[in-house]
Amino acid sequence: MSLNPVERFVSGLARYVAIAGGLALVATVILIVLSVIGRALIPLGLGAITGDYELVEAGVGFAVFAFLPWAHLTRGHAVVSIFTDMAGPRFNAWLMVVCDALMLAVAVFITWRQALGAMDKFAYGETTLLLRMPLWWSYTAGLIGAVTFVLVAAYLLAVSLSDAATGRQPQAGQGAVH
Amino acid sequence: REVTLRIHQMLPAQATIPADAITPWAAAVEEQSGGRIKFELYPAMQLGGAPPSLFDQAKDGVVDIIWTVLGYTPGRFPKSEVFEMPFLVTTGEATSVAFQKYVEANAMDEFAGVHVIAVHTHGPGLFHTKDPVNKLEDLAGMKIRGGSRVISDMLSRLGAEPIGMPVPAVTEALSKGVIDGTTIPWEVTPSLKVAELVKNHTGFTGEYGLYTQTFGFVMNQDSYNNLPDDLKAIIDANSGVETARMFGKVMDAGDAGGLAIAEGLGNNIITLDAVETARWKAAAQPTIDQWFADMDGQGIDGRALYEEAQSLVAAESSL
Amino acid sequence: MSNIELGLLSFPVILILIFLRIPIGLAMLAVGIGGSYLITGSFNPVMAQFKHLTQGTFASYSLSVVPLFLLMGQFATLGGMSAALFKAAATWMGHRKGGLAMAAIGACAGFGAICGSSLATAATMGQVALPELRKYGYAGGLATGTLAAGGTLGILIPPSIILVIYAILTEQNISKLFMAALIPGLLAAIGYMITIAIYVRINPESAGQVERAPYSERWKALAGVWPVLVVFIVVIGGIYGGVFTPTEAAAIGAAGTAIISLFNRSLTGKNFIEAILSTASSTAMIFLIVLGAGALNGFLAMSQLPQVSAEWVVAQGFNPWVVLIAILFLYLLLGCVMDSLSMILLTVPIIFPMVTALDFGLPPDEFAIWFGILVLIVVEVGLITPPVGMNLFVINSMAKTTSLGQTYKGVLPFVASDLIRTAILAAFPALTLYLVRLLY
Ligand code: NA
Ligand code: NA
Repeated sequence: MSLNPVERFVSGLARYVAIAGGLALVATVILIVLSVIGRALIPLGLGAITGDYELVEAGVGFAVFAFLPWAHLTRGHAVVSIFTDMAGPRFNAWLMVVCDALMLAVAVFITWRQALGAMDKFAYGETTLLLRMPLWWSYTAGLIGAVTFVLVAAYLLAVSLSDAATGRQPQAGQGAVH
Repeated sequence: REVTLRIHQMLPAQATIPADAITPWAAAVEEQSGGRIKFELYPAMQLGGAPPSLFDQAKDGVVDIIWTVLGYTPGRFPKSEVFEMPFLVTTGEATSVAFQKYVEANAMDEFAGVHVIAVHTHGPGLFHTKDPVNKLEDLAGMKIRGGSRVISDMLSRLGAEPIGMPVPAVTEALSKGVIDGTTIPWEVTPSLKVAELVKNHTGFTGEYGLYTQTFGFVMNQDSYNNLPDDLKAIIDANSGVETARMFGKVMDAGDAGGLAIAEGLGNNIITLDAVETARWKAAAQPTIDQWFADMDGQGIDGRALYEEAQSLVAAESSL
Repeated sequence: MSNIELGLLSFPVILILIFLRIPIGLAMLAVGIGGSYLITGSFNPVMAQFKHLTQGTFASYSLSVVPLFLLMGQFATLGGMSAALFKAAATWMGHRKGGLAMAAIGACAGFGAICGSSLATAATMGQVALPELRKYGYAGGLATGTLAAGGTLGILIPPSIILVIYAILTEQNISKLFMAALIPGLLAAIGYMITIAIYVRINPESAGQVERAPYSERWKALAGVWPVLVVFIVVIGGIYGGVFTPTEAAAIGAAGTAIISLFNRSLTGKNFIEAILSTASSTAMIFLIVLGAGALNGFLAMSQLPQVSAEWVVAQGFNPWVVLIAILFLYLLLGCVMDSLSMILLTVPIIFPMVTALDFGLPPDEFAIWFGILVLIVVEVGLITPPVGMNLFVINSMAKTTSLGQTYKGVLPFVASDLIRTAILAAFPALTLYLVRLLY
């Protein structure tokens, strides 16, 4: 399968962002394990990692945002296709366009609101409880995944539009195997 | 014209403040308005979001009115935070009135964008622990849940391991040994079954308790501005110092109920004597000094605010 | 239109969107946002809410357990533990009539103990057991039906992602729910084995003969599953014993299964990336649905529908048991076309207040646990009920020579076994609550 440059860029970006999210998740695992060990060894003078709850939230939050574009690109979201399978390919092609347009709208909405949320947190100077980490940091980290999500959604909409207009069979999967 | 106002908060409907303060407050306003103001009460975050987002929900108009813990958004209310300083609190009633007056005089800018109905505090928070805390040293290495950043800072200076977790998680964490104890006022202990889970409770001699937390009962500014003048007047008549006093009194009544349950269970209720209490106050002083330094960094005269808070609390407590 | 009518109307609208193949999370988001607009008469509240709702949902300590359990399942899949489990079960029971299929069920139960997802369990065990079942002459439908049903043990036996979500929705204690799931999960495994025994007695030609393994081989194979046992005891024992929170347990489980697969040399750079990307897909799918449910539930609460419908059910004076049966039946019906997690997130906010208002002679906490387990079982039946059963699709796609029709037919006896078990657990709440009462 030959990839055009746009496709290569978008899928590569989604993949790397998802891997970055996965590494954040792995880092969270390591952090938790160390914290639990430290807590178990309090009698030996060790202790839990200060602010472990906050760090877990920040790490997992970044990861989930980073996973969104990958799931959309690979058509990983849960769908019910039993009824639409009975309809013809043209109907399904245009349905895909509607779906992708709705997903793009939601991706833009989430990203736009998240950015405003980040600005609020910056303006109010809110921090986490123990580490006093500025909250706008994790909001902004989430934006990395969110912006990628918008790019992927726009790209997929373009693909499904051209598929529907030209009557080509969609190359992307028919939906999730979840 | 009739208005319906949505009130959102994080506790279940039967908890002390929702049941004994917010619901009666709403009923009084409805009645005084001849039914022209109606309230819909949404307990337990039913309208969505996490508790720290409550204040913004009122500010941004997601809902009309919210009740929240100001400490859930650390860093956002630096001037109000002075009331979380150790050994500043007396009773819920006196401290709430003092806090309301303090905020009106010094910290209204922190509430820009919302209409303040009342702010208040709870009664003195104390230690509830598996193993007894009879002296400062007993706290060493104990995993203690603290509710705000000031409390957490103080706990680590006192030698404990502060664990930050939301109030509803305390019951399971205590029963599972994830924490060895928690700092909360008596008022919260019945709903969290704390007196069943731990057998030791440590408070202090004298008028002053260990700490308190601050709460806001606030309204979206547009929701308030859009009321006709006569309805605004009814909200105003149910705002301010007397409303703060009512919330504080409800907290004090809750404290009495919680204490009675622990006594009924035959728990070990420790009151540290004057000498030991003085040691704790000395050990907590660096937390206050650190707060002064933090405030200096933000261009706020923390010491002056602290002294004003002290004198307001003393005056309201007739000390 | 009144707010309650809006709330009621939202359900057919969501179902239509879902049936038009709109991703379920997306449909819930769209209806939640649109519904809030109709009730408040303005987009401002919902726009303001989304400044913090997404971050609050994604960066949540209690939900962080979900990707961590998924990661644990991925590493467990890599680590070759499915093969070791099947081998051990097969040496002990394989020589019996239908024994190899029973062994597959046993191995699924074992894998379910370290994996929180049904699909992962079905897919992993399918890869290992399907070729063996076919090699020893098991009929196509029996083989695929067994593995599709066995896959549901991934959720029924703790840890279980669906139970985590239910616990968060209904504010119940996760470890109590995990504990309550244990006996029903074991009953499921036993029920499936009995089903297989009856099936091969009626259709003797559907299962071939496997040689009896010597005891030396049996003990050796059994010794090969110790890593599974260790991980299960540390993770589930740690949660039960209060050594750590579910999130911590999931992280330790992920670390443990990763270490095991490192030692097996089955964890390479390449499949590590694959494990991450697979976790990424499932995590994003779940969180989009959770976010959609957050938007939808805020709107439903404002519509007052949950409250009013609960009051209505009580006022009608229905027999609680009739209501319960009707609800379980509704889940079975929905399960024919929808996946379990979406069903739970879509319905529990309305159904739970309704059933909680009824009197089943149980204290509220115990009721919530028992009801949660019953719902868990019926939504899991949905994974194996034709026409849309995700486990059926996953297994069928692996069995090249078995038609989907054969798989549909092969799974029906297992569905029957699920229904009988549901009836037993509904009639005797004590079965579900026994361990919780014993240990709390
Ligand atoms: Na499981
Ligand atoms: Na199904």
